[in-house]
Amino acid sequence: MSTNSLTLAPAPRSEAAEQVRAEVREFLAAELAAGSFTTHVDTWLSGVDPAFSRKLGERGWLGMTWPKKYGGHERSAMERYAVTEELLAAGAPVAAHWIADRQSGPNLLTYGTEQQRQELLPRIAAGECYFVIGMSEPDSGSDLASIRTKATRNGGGDWVVNGAKVWTSNAHHSHYAITLVRTSPQDTANRHAGMSQLLIDLSLPGITINPIRILDGGHHFNEMVFEDVVVPGDMLLGEEGNGWHQVTAELAFERSGPERFLSTYPLVAEFARRVAAADDPAAVATLGRLSASILALRQMSLRIAAALDRGELPNIPAALVKDVGTTFEGDVIDEIRRVVDVTPSLDSPDPLGRALAEAQLHAPGYTLRGGTNEILRGIVARGLGLR
Amino acid sequence: MSDQDLVVETVRDILTGFEPFALTAERRWDAGLWSALASAGLTGVGLPESSGGSGGELADAVAIVRTLAAGAAAVPVAEQLLVAGPAVVAADLTLPPVDEPLTFALGPAVTAHASDDGDGPGRFTLSGTVTDVAWSGAARHLVVLAAGAAGPVLGLIDVSGIEATSAVNLAGEPRGSLVLDDVAASGALLNSAQLEELKARYALTRAVQLAAALEQVLAWTVQYAGERVQFGRPLGKFQAIQMELAEMSGEVTAVTALTDAAVQAVERDENVVLAAAAAKVRAGAAVEVVARLAHQVHGAIGFTQEHKLHHLTKRLWSWRDEAGSELAWSRVLGAGVLADGPDGLWPALTRIV
Repeated sequence: MSTNSLTLAPAPRSEAAEQVRAEVREFLAAELAAGSFTTHVDTWLSGVDPAFSRKLGERGWLGMTWPKKYGGHERSAMERYAVTEELLAAGAPVAAHWIADRQSGPNLLTYGTEQQRQELLPRIAAGECYFVIGMSEPDSGSDLASIRTKATRNGGGDWVVNGAKVWTSNAHHSHYAITLVRTSPQDTANRHAGMSQLLIDLSLPGITINPIRILDGGHHFNEMVFEDVVVPGDMLLGEEGNGWHQVTAELAFERSGPERFLSTYPLVAEFARRVAAADDPAAVATLGRLSASILALRQMSLRIAAALDRGELPNIPAALVKDVGTTFEGDVIDEIRRVVDVTPSLDSPDPLGRALAEAQLHAPGYTLRGGTNEILRGIVARGLGLR
Repeated sequence: MSDQDLVVETVRDILTGFEPFALTAERRWDAGLWSALASAGLTGVGLPESSGGSGGELADAVAIVRTLAAGAAAVPVAEQLLVAGPAVVAADLTLPPVDEPLTFALGPAVTAHASDDGDGPGRFTLSGTVTDVAWSGAARHLVVLAAGAAGPVLGLIDVSGIEATSAVNLAGEPRGSLVLDDVAASGALLNSAQLEELKARYALTRAVQLAAALEQVLAWTVQYAGERVQFGRPLGKFQAIQMELAEMSGEVTAVTALTDAAVQAVERDENVVLAAAAAKVRAGAAVEVVARLAHQVHGAIGFTQEHKLHHLTKRLWSWRDEAGSELAWSRVLGAGVLADGPDGLWPALTRIV
């Protein structure tokens, strides 16, 4: 089946995935009971907890699909899917390692040099080394090809980087930024040419990380400013000039996972507790509708995991799942509001009121991050043969 | 080409000779198409040869039903192959000849009285009014879920001599009522789990039809957007239209993924009720988006009987609330995911399909 086809084959059942799911569930129940974390909405953005990430690394739940020689565990994408969705459903603090495990590691595996892989992948798999995405800029959002951050070679063969990247989630907790930079001047005939990816150690001189607070006051976003930052020549990731292609491949990983429909799942779980305690047919029906949507999204997302196991990079189905899934993440809020008498507040004594507040204040981000839904629908339209 | 592809090809070939038409009081179903399908052995697929069927798997029967649904075929094949036929076989009753249309109905107001002493497959008489009978007037036999003194009864009756009311759904498909007055039936007692699973299979049958029709409506709309030129460009070149078609695609993909999974749940005989409920609810929810946007993109011509779009959109608007309304199945699913208690939602969601 073509990787650009909109529909993918059904995912096979995976006993191994169900096995590891049970293990993760047991681990999470124990951690919750021990008070090592509390459940929150959208924790893959806001739940930074290096100690928790290291625990996952110790159990072999990071870098799951990577080769063992790089600290990975050579397990299937279906098994990794089960682990990630259990963590998200529990609202566990996974933000520290999330980007590195999801897309930076696979990017390094595909395009990294042997030295880069050996140095970085085992640390990512151990839950000790965190990455931030360096794509968007102050003047380049959806139009990523218009980036201006520039890297030029100096006499010693190193790169000198100048520019700024924004919306860089958890840059202030990260060790590296995979940064899309312009290594040749903009070519109006080929907008996608002349870009490269650099592996930038965030401890290098000349890098300033400034917080950008989101609606709830949380500090997750940053502006990363590069002023004559000297990046060693061997920190080029992949090929010079191949940056656009590499970024596109990375986005298949960025867009396809269960975090694209489970960001607000902890709110749904809290709602279910309320429904169970009441006797309200309308609320029961709403829970049924939300459940049907989640079940469908899981099947869509599982099909992508199965396609990754077949060695495909299903960009278009990934865009489709992300469009439907992130829309659902926001819809949940109003579906629940319509059948429950509850006021959203971060200070609410009612856990449902708190979850609702968290979900609402993060809501604008769901359909923006990782490619706006308008951009995603453009990709789907291309898959339909319209563009 | 797999056996299943071959079956689908055969159905498609037959369909080319039978264009969909607006169903009217004079012509309520496509008897010619039924005969052609029956002659090809397609009205017995998925039913065992030992019972008089054509053999094959559930997946083959589903493939046939999907193809016919996408073609707006006015024949009772879905009811026969996916619900009524399998129910008769499972109950160990004698399957009527598969070239005679067999349909299915819930009979909440029908009572069954045993007319022999057996407690297995036996003889009953059925009384009461059975409503919403799919293909009433066209079907020769009816499987109806009735209430017996000792519990639910699956009754199989010959309805060729019973007059049906002329009620139809939005697409003109017969959905009449029959008054049963001590009608002789072969039948079998059902336990409550079997009863719920049969209702669920009926709902899943409609979900399968919805999924196929939604896919076809999307395909028609994409094709139309590529052909219809306004302002010097095909409609599909306008971003506003692209956004609508992409939104439709998302809905269709979601429905297909879940419906396929629910069919597999039936094949494995696991969580049939909740899997079917979910598929039916999700498919029904997609109808609003897909039918609305399909009509929007097609413009005025799609709002007329001169264009084929209505054959499927009217079916979509009906099927989503047949075999149990979207609301009823939402409640079944909502209650079902809480069966293990207030913290049981996630385990349920990862178990159902």
